Amino acid sequence: MKRRTLLKALTGIGMAGVLPMSLTRPAFGATAERFLVTISATGGWDPTALIDPKGNTPRADGLGPVNNYSASAIKSAGNLSYAPYPSMIEEPATESTGHFDTFFNKHADRLLVINGIDTQTNGHDSGRRFMWSGKLEEGYPTIAALAAAPFPDQPMAFISNGGYDFTASIVAPVRTASPGTFNQLAFPNSMFPTDPDLLDLELVGQSSYSLVQQAREERLVRQRMAETLPKRQKQMEQLQTVKNSDVELQSLLDFLPNEVSSGLAGQAEVAIAAFASGLAVSANLNASGFDTHGDHDQDHTPSLTALLEGIDQLWEQIELRGMQDKVTILIGSDFGRTPFYNEGDGKDHWNITSIMAMGAGITGNRIIGATNENFEALKLNTSTLQPDDNGIIITPQHVHRSLRDFLGVQDDLDKLFPIGVEKLDLFL
Amino acid sequence: MPRMPDKLKSLLKIASLLLWALCASQFASAQSGSSLPTFSDDTLTIPRIDVEGYGSLELQLQLVDTTNLTFQLTSSLAANPSLTPGATYDLQTSELSIPMVQADTVFYKLDLQLQPGDVFTVVTAAETKLTGQDDYNAQCASCHGVDGQGGLVSVSLVNCANCSSISTLSNYIANVMPVGAPESCAGDCASKTAEYILTLFQIVDNPMVEQTIQAISSLSLDDTLRKASLQLVSRLPTATESQQVANQGEAGLRAVLDGMMQEDKFYDRVAEIFNDLILTDRYLSVNGGRAEALRLMRIFPDAFWFGDPQEATRDDEWVQNLILSNDSVAREPLQLINHVVKNELPMTEILTADYFMVNPYSAKSYGVFDELAFQDEFDVNEWLPAQIKDFEFSKIRIGDIPHAGILTSLMFLNRYPTSDTNRNRARSRVVYDLFMDVDILALEGSRPDGEAVDISSPAPTLDNDDCVVCHALLDPVASSFENWNDRGFYRPNARWYDDMFQAGFAGADRPASEEPTSLQWLASQMVVDPRFNDAMVRIVYNGLTGAEPLAPPGDNATEAEWDAYNAESVQLDALKDSFVANNQNLKTLIKEIVLSPYFRADGLTTESFAIVHEDTGAARLLSPEMLHRKINALLGFEWRGPLDLYSVAKDNDRRARLLDDRQYYHQIYGGIDSFVVTQRLTEPNGLMVAVQERMGNELACYAVPNDFLTAAEQRLLMPFVETTTQPTSSANQEAIMQNIQHLHSHLLAEDLAIEDPELQLTYQLFISTLEAGQAAVGSTEDGNLPFLCRRTNDLLTGDDLASPLTTDPNYVIRAWIAVAAYLMSDYRFVYE
Repeated sequence: MKRRTLLKALTGIGMAGVLPMSLTRPAFGATAERFLVTISATGGWDPTALIDPKGNTPRADGLGPVNNYSASAIKSAGNLSYAPYPSMIEEPATESTGHFDTFFNKHADRLLVINGIDTQTNGHDSGRRFMWSGKLEEGYPTIAALAAAPFPDQPMAFISNGGYDFTASIVAPVRTASPGTFNQLAFPNSMFPTDPDLLDLELVGQSSYSLVQQAREERLVRQRMAETLPKRQKQMEQLQTVKNSDVELQSLLDFLPNEVSSGLAGQAEVAIAAFASGLAVSANLNASGFDTHGDHDQDHTPSLTALLEGIDQLWEQIELRGMQDKVTILIGSDFGRTPFYNEGDGKDHWNITSIMAMGAGITGNRIIGATNENFEALKLNTSTLQPDDNGIIITPQHVHRSLRDFLGVQDDLDKLFPIGVEKLDLFL
Repeated sequence: MPRMPDKLKSLLKIASLLLWALCASQFASAQSGSSLPTFSDDTLTIPRIDVEGYGSLELQLQLVDTTNLTFQLTSSLAANPSLTPGATYDLQTSELSIPMVQADTVFYKLDLQLQPGDVFTVVTAAETKLTGQDDYNAQCASCHGVDGQGGLVSVSLVNCANCSSISTLSNYIANVMPVGAPESCAGDCASKTAEYILTLFQIVDNPMVEQTIQAISSLSLDDTLRKASLQLVSRLPTATESQQVANQGEAGLRAVLDGMMQEDKFYDRVAEIFNDLILTDRYLSVNGGRAEALRLMRIFPDAFWFGDPQEATRDDEWVQNLILSNDSVAREPLQLINHVVKNELPMTEILTADYFMVNPYSAKSYGVFDELAFQDEFDVNEWLPAQIKDFEFSKIRIGDIPHAGILTSLMFLNRYPTSDTNRNRARSRVVYDLFMDVDILALEGSRPDGEAVDISSPAPTLDNDDCVVCHALLDPVASSFENWNDRGFYRPNARWYDDMFQAGFAGADRPASEEPTSLQWLASQMVVDPRFNDAMVRIVYNGLTGAEPLAPPGDNATEAEWDAYNAESVQLDALKDSFVANNQNLKTLIKEIVLSPYFRADGLTTESFAIVHEDTGAARLLSPEMLHRKINALLGFEWRGPLDLYSVAKDNDRRARLLDDRQYYHQIYGGIDSFVVTQRLTEPNGLMVAVQERMGNELACYAVPNDFLTAAEQRLLMPFVETTTQPTSSANQEAIMQNIQHLHSHLLAEDLAIEDPELQLTYQLFISTLEAGQAAVGSTEDGNLPFLCRRTNDLLTGDDLASPLTTDPNYVIRAWIAVAAYLMSDYRFVYE
């Protein structure tokens, strides 16, 4: 379906823009009870270096080993297998929450791993699109947007930290910045928004500001009523909707740590603070550094460490806010990396990948799907989800079909952006 | 739509009136343009019929009896004489013969007999075919659609670039189409297919197109000038420029735009427009590490000419050289575009240039500084073409680099890297997208699912039909990059893969003799492809209007969607024609877009076109960069933080509220870093609205008192009032109203009569805030300006003022601050 056709369809049922959408409102009211975090290991991670380990057994075709570690060194935590660190690579300190042993021993019980997913592409853009929307075609919103769409009144319903954040206009993505920025925006008329003692000193006089605010709102209504160019009229409607939403950014500040971390951990802290304060429903987080065409082991390892540290911090924040039963986390990447090294000790793009899920509704300590010794996807029986030569190869379509059902994406949205594959119980 | 074919088919079945078959080729040769009679919505339209004694007529006949297929003549107008007659009428026998009528995608021959009561009854009807129809359906329809409106790769044939004549189109088909296999439709096939396309898909003098465009109410030329001026050169028009437009109309506007397009700011905007798609600014120091671009060129021994980062003392000069050199290297492809535009060279040169662009800093990094004649070795804005000769790497002589514009740009090649498995396909995809306006990813709609991919073949991209669909297009261009490695360096004679389509373009193989200069050959092929012009139109149209050209409507599209698409297509084709006719000069294209109804759209003349025009117009939420520049244009200073330290912060982009994403709002407000965040936000969200609110408040707090510091005739905001002007007399009330009128005009481009209700409401806001403030003075407020609104020093220099402005005993200044804050967060301020 072409994007324009989609937008027409949206318009046809009154869903274009970020307007209040009766069709997408949850029946139980406007308060979100479930939240979604997606984490993109941007660039294409190597599952064989993490959760689908193979080892250094020479390949029959002479292309060399899949990994630079011994198969006998592959580790496990509960039912999960995970990779050891490649030889010649300095491990992070074991007290690091991103050390494989530390991370998997702590989180294995809540982790669901799905291996052997065929992304059918090795292009970054198309891989990201497929992985996060469930469709290779353009025009389909990221799952985080689908999750947030029923809550247009939340001023930050869908927080995006970049990557694939196409929303098809069902919700407006919000990009965030440093915590100091939130103070400035939470108190837009304060001269000194970061100083609690001077917070009440205002730019526009205290006695007149409410009049200004009222005048702004009334003028926008008049402008919209008088406008004859449909495009501008639509823009004014969008602006009015957002302005009318209950922007209580101050509450976000109450849930942010005093010192917000950098990188993925910082993104996680902002996302959970926004969830806890009722401002957001979903967030996509981004960790980069995985496109390791050269010196793969050397460069990929610290990226994995940072990724796991970020996930751990995310979980810590979730627990801190008591939201373990409300927040679902999905971790994935553009695609995978080749099951052999290139001449520069790097690994190029490979269409097979894995995802991890944890949090609300996820039964952990499980692996679904498999790959062979050359990191090629094995077919699965659609009922038992066990390897079966007569089964099917899992693609992101299957993941998203199952994910949408699991998250309860509303029928109207599901039909508007259809994913027509068999349903698998991947997340239940 | 398909009602008529059904009716005719049933008639055929009942009457068995298959009397004769049409000699399609004879008929088609008489057809051109939109001469073909059509049947749609129960109306039979004959664009031209010559009747003795009546002249050339355009007839419309309404189907009034579906049983007997009887038509009533409902309209008879003078026909467009450029059309070819599509029917004959025999005055002796009263027979109307129509050799071919198009109904949807089916064609019929009809004979009708005039009956008493001035109605016509169908007496014979036979399905027929148009010359070239079979060839078109076999060779072209899968991509261009049965209706010619575009298919998977969204290439419409409506008024296509090569549709000027049968011979032109026929030659093009024979040499280029279908892509990758032109030999499958050469000779007779090509000429018949060309006839078919010209007969069916040419929209000439389409009344609906005309009506659709006429429904757009355009901005006045003066308002168009302001809009274009802010967009192109980040300033308001001068009085002289406005007068020139007032005196000379469109010609004056063109002349003024010509002048503006000489200014440096214009080239900043051109680079911004192209970077939104090319994204090479990813290597600027503000978007990543300070030396990302330089690290990519480390094999050039002088890359860090100012001192090796491992050894050099990192003093301020070293850091400055690092950043300037890095950013100069990073900006190379965009500077090539600017060079081409500035010198009014054909835009094709961005691909064919046998040089690249350097300034003194990047010239030193590339080691070509001594070969060039820079006037000022410290001027980062002095750019010259350069070539890399006798290049040597690791003691291996590489030789002269065969530059091919952006295609061989180190930044471009690294921005879109390759790998052993990718084999330059990512580069090929981007080249198609940027320079051919072909989105190969759109082909993924028919991509096979996991099970259908036959990976047992050693080279599925060559022998699996599912794969060949894309790879026949993708791989010849990818292979053309064979001499350029994953790091973007030239490596001639490198081994290339033989299990993929070899270098070529649009069905032509790259000659073996061109192998070392493969990308130069590719560029030479691409720039004669008419799709290059489509790509330029798309990029600039998108940049200036903030919207992509409409995609061809889908299978279930409404008539309104088709009307919108067809009308815009005609406009875009006209823009493209001007661009091509004027030596592919980008400035021409920009002027034509600015003057087009789609840039100037300000409303609709009739509500009946509201659905058709729902996406029409250049109204857009300003990007953070555009808003940053607009503020400076309207207020004379930028929004930086903190404003009371403006003199210190004015040259530091880390202090620009809308340009910095670490402390401030660049990404919150939808900006991109050309790396992780590559799509601008075009719709507002809660945080962006909060940014607008803070912006309005802060700017008002600072701008209003600051404006009062200067003489009235020099003020931008407050020329009609003083800090003591209260509404205590009719003269003062009039002055306040005049100032409000001025503020609406200056800040919002809203020229309203003094009695306009909007001005009255703003006046009421002034009065009510004044009264509320005066009442609060002594209790919740005092007689001083808010601390940050006080002006004690000069804006630009920071020097102390002889007469500071810190008090506001009557609350007048603060009432104006309230009014300015109201206006500077308005829709018309944050949108353009």
